[in-house]
Amino acid sequence: MRLKEKFNQLKKQGRKAFIAYVPFGFPEPKLTKPICLALAKGGVDIIELGIPFSDPLADGPIIQQATAKALAAGANLDNFFGTLKELSSSLTIPIVIMTYYNPVFKYGLERFLKRLKSHRVCATLIVDLPIEEAGQYLKSARGLGVDTVFFVTPTTDQKRMRKIINRSRGFIYYISVTGITGPKNIAYRSVARQVEFLKKISPLPVCVGFGIHSAEQVRAVNEFSDGAIVGSALVEFIDKNYRKKGFLNTLAAYTSKLCMK
Amino acid sequence: MKLPDKKGYFGQFGGKYVPETLSVCLNELTIAYQKYKKDSGFKKKLDFYLREYAGRPTALYFAERLSKHLGLKVYLKREDLLHTGAHKINNALGQALLAKFMGKPRVIAETGAGQHGVAVATVCSLLCLECDIYMGQADIQRQAMNVLRMKVLGARVIPVKSGSKTLKDACNEAFRDWVTNVRNTYYLLGSVVGPHPYPMMVRDFQAVIGREARAQILKKQAKLPDYLLACVGGGSNSLGLFYPFFNDRKVKFIGVEAAGFGLSGLHSATLVKGGVGVFQGSRSYVLQDKFGQIKNAHSIAPGLDYPGVGPEHSYYKASQRAQYLAVGDAQAYQGFKLLSQLEGIIPALESSHAVYYLNQLAKKHKGKTVIVCLSGRGDKDLDIIKHYEAERKI
Repeated sequence: MRLKEKFNQLKKQGRKAFIAYVPFGFPEPKLTKPICLALAKGGVDIIELGIPFSDPLADGPIIQQATAKALAAGANLDNFFGTLKELSSSLTIPIVIMTYYNPVFKYGLERFLKRLKSHRVCATLIVDLPIEEAGQYLKSARGLGVDTVFFVTPTTDQKRMRKIINRSRGFIYYISVTGITGPKNIAYRSVARQVEFLKKISPLPVCVGFGIHSAEQVRAVNEFSDGAIVGSALVEFIDKNYRKKGFLNTLAAYTSKLCMK
Repeated sequence: MKLPDKKGYFGQFGGKYVPETLSVCLNELTIAYQKYKKDSGFKKKLDFYLREYAGRPTALYFAERLSKHLGLKVYLKREDLLHTGAHKINNALGQALLAKFMGKPRVIAETGAGQHGVAVATVCSLLCLECDIYMGQADIQRQAMNVLRMKVLGARVIPVKSGSKTLKDACNEAFRDWVTNVRNTYYLLGSVVGPHPYPMMVRDFQAVIGREARAQILKKQAKLPDYLLACVGGGSNSLGLFYPFFNDRKVKFIGVEAAGFGLSGLHSATLVKGGVGVFQGSRSYVLQDKFGQIKNAHSIAPGLDYPGVGPEHSYYKASQRAQYLAVGDAQAYQGFKLLSQLEGIIPALESSHAVYYLNQLAKKHKGKTVIVCLSGRGDKDLDIIKHYEAERKI
């Protein structure tokens, strides 16, 4: 399913998107598929799967540790693509891939995007590829029909917002805090103002991420946005519980509590 | 053509590969730097501090005994004589003044061995700026004396416990701090690495090394040298020396990286053995595995222990303006001893890599004139030397 269809469907149902971020291979590569299926069962609308990178500049301690664990457990692009292939036949909700640029650059940008497309990935977010460096990326992604999601932050000025919007497809990722991923307090009023401005100048859905770690925050963010992205909270839950009996069921239950389904 | 271009590229290298929040910080910094580098008040202040506080100009010393020993004409550019004992202060002064002019009350920095951290803590004390230094937990244990120096100078040293707990992780952590606190914080990066404008800005602040050396050598022998020789970690002392000679095509540049335990084991020879990648904000050579994950580096010289290198060096390599090779731990140790015993100058282990390479150069090019950048003094390395000798029963 394309992101556009997903957001249209949600709109018809009068619902907001709940997007779950998990790093691939965490806590180990073979658990990614069952984790994604449990998240879907728990009511997640879109899965954002991260490719672990040795130097995750934009991530806080929780996701740093998770990606380090994934790499230590043998996560790499080979088993990543293998898992993606399996997921594409068992998941019905859209998958979005989030990554740092070097693994993509090393693999070959065009080759990477083609491979993702062949596994029915609908969009990519490349954390450290800002619009200034995105020329070739945009060209390749457009040619292949892969949506390009970009970030807007509290420090992005309005002129730059317009440039980012022009290059965005699928949805706009609004970062709710100046800083890195991980649990934070969110200044709802100023976030709401920014999100409303983005929605005024663009028809694209705007989803809010970074810092969101509770059902209350999801609800608050849903008041003014088209969806919430939760990462660190899920990663923390997985880390604490994956060795326990019935883990996948408790993960699904925790997820549905977070997204209020 | 003047490099980098507007987007921060040296040929295909450089750029600004950073998360969106940092894009905004970097654009602000670029504009401020362009403004103040031409500002006469800024230039005057920087000149003043470099001269009166740091001790510039540094000597270009003709090393007579070493020259005789090798059959070369060797001049040493004595950055080791600067306040705090290394070239790092040139850049620290320049950027801390910039922070001051930009009205940022807080400065953060990364440090590996602690040399850059000490230089930053020093200038922050001088200029009355709040100072937080990120340092890998592993480095904190290895470099206790420098940690103490920074604390004495009034800086806070923040241990970094993520990743390999060394320089690259300290750098990641400093970026994370900057992203979070950009409104009141200046990130004082220590080498010609990272996203634009850092490679350009740090080069400009270090270029004083080469400008002085060029004028000094012309005065001493009325002609340019045949070779410039310097060690390369991130690459700031070497680029500082090379850059002002860029258009003197007959002057050959040699950059010496750290081969560590050997090029098939752990090393820091990014240009010699690495591949092109995107790491910590720029496209440059980097040590990486086949999946694009960054590898850990190693060198006996803590200041060379880094898996990346400045994009301008990658450009010099690709365009063959400079030649890069690597010298291992054991050879650097020999270079360290050689200069100490022939000239009474204890070089930093980083600079010792360049000193050792003089032996190789002498084999093929007898009688040529070489300027070596003596980037720092070796007092800081005596503990490492003590352990090295104890382990090998030297």
